Amino acid sequence: MASSNREKISEWVKSTQIYKAIFRHGYEDTPRNRSLTTFSNVLYHLHPVKTRWESIKFRYTWCMGGVSLLLFVMLALTGVMLMFYYVPDVRRAYQDIKDMMTVVSYGTTFRNIHRFAAQGMVATVWIHMTRVFLTGSYKSPREFNWIIGVVLLMLTLLLSWTGYLLPWDQLALWAITVGTKMAAATPLFGVEGPFGVQLGMRPDNDVKFMLLGGTEVGQNALLRFYVLHCVVLPMLVVVFLAVHFWRVRKDGFSGPL
Amino acid sequence: MKDIDETITRRDFFSHVGWGGVAATLGGSAFSFYRFYFPNVLYETQKVFKIGKPSDYPEGLSEKWKKERQIWVVRNERGLYVMISICRHLGCTPNWFQDKQAFLCPCHGSIFSIEGNVLGGPSPRLLWRAALKIDPTDGQIIVDFNHRQDPDPMSTEQGLRVDEASREVEPFFLKV
Repeated sequence: MASSNREKISEWVKSTQIYKAIFRHGYEDTPRNRSLTTFSNVLYHLHPVKTRWESIKFRYTWCMGGVSLLLFVMLALTGVMLMFYYVPDVRRAYQDIKDMMTVVSYGTTFRNIHRFAAQGMVATVWIHMTRVFLTGSYKSPREFNWIIGVVLLMLTLLLSWTGYLLPWDQLALWAITVGTKMAAATPLFGVEGPFGVQLGMRPDNDVKFMLLGGTEVGQNALLRFYVLHCVVLPMLVVVFLAVHFWRVRKDGFSGPL
Repeated sequence: MKDIDETITRRDFFSHVGWGGVAATLGGSAFSFYRFYFPNVLYETQKVFKIGKPSDYPEGLSEKWKKERQIWVVRNERGLYVMISICRHLGCTPNWFQDKQAFLCPCHGSIFSIEGNVLGGPSPRLLWRAALKIDPTDGQIIVDFNHRQDPDPMSTEQGLRVDEASREVEPFFLKV
């Protein structure tokens, strides 16, 4: 009795215009409908229409690409949560992190999820690329996607590094000092790099100056790295991830020969 | 067959335990997600504070704490109460006019009597009074800014008002 009512209700829900506008197709198990399910669903659409069974075997892929994506989503969610308590002000940043670890309910949990997911993402991206390299999956027709992957690795490392600077402790201060000193050594664009001086680079106009927003590590540097960490780099990652998945869909998953 | 259907099999049991674990994990994380947004430490002015002994306040209205704590301290012939200087129309700060014996809100012209009754203007409610307590150790008045008396006013010819006896009750009034 109860189950027939449930069927009636579900039939009614499926007959409404709202449901049809969202889902667009029924459940008939026909080849056409199966294609429609894949093509019309935003989540399924990320995957190729057909996938060979061997190519998604755990032993072959190690699932590291998917785990990287999962960690990125977790980082985005917990990162937004941390933004509710963290202020990128040199007088407050360290204290805000201390508060997060001591007096904010579940603050320790969410900060640690963010930290460890970041460490984990660096590891899984490396392992993913190692697998792609060892299985030769970077070869034609996937050479373009390998380059996108290398860009994503760089973005992952930059995200990890810029996040490391935000607590504004001794680690952060000297990491910025070292990191931007490397920027000063950039050829042409850095004052200490080859041909920098010849091109008119000074400590107050080179690439290091642009990164720090000044000639020394201070408030402007913290604000710039905060914006890079929370806005610029994540947006770039999302764009490159979209291209990465689109290429996976077009080229198909690689698999054992 | 019926007996088998109604017994909980080992498979069912572990399935329930497993899904129960999933539900508990999701519920727990949803709760922590929700609780995270309620700060345990606030960097703002104290909302429970001391304002000195009752004997510091002679009969009449004191504006001593208005800037710092947003309150007026009033003593009448029966005792002492603390009124919150927030206009109940849109939250502005009214001013006390000694010659008119009334609070006038500069923004939209609400007029309140010294008791907090509405004598005119758009204000739909009476001024709030804060909860009071005497600290037993040093005899000072403790004001709880967040615990407020908010009586439902009656519309009369003189304006929106309530019977004063109903406002002069604990913990919003000190008979000292």
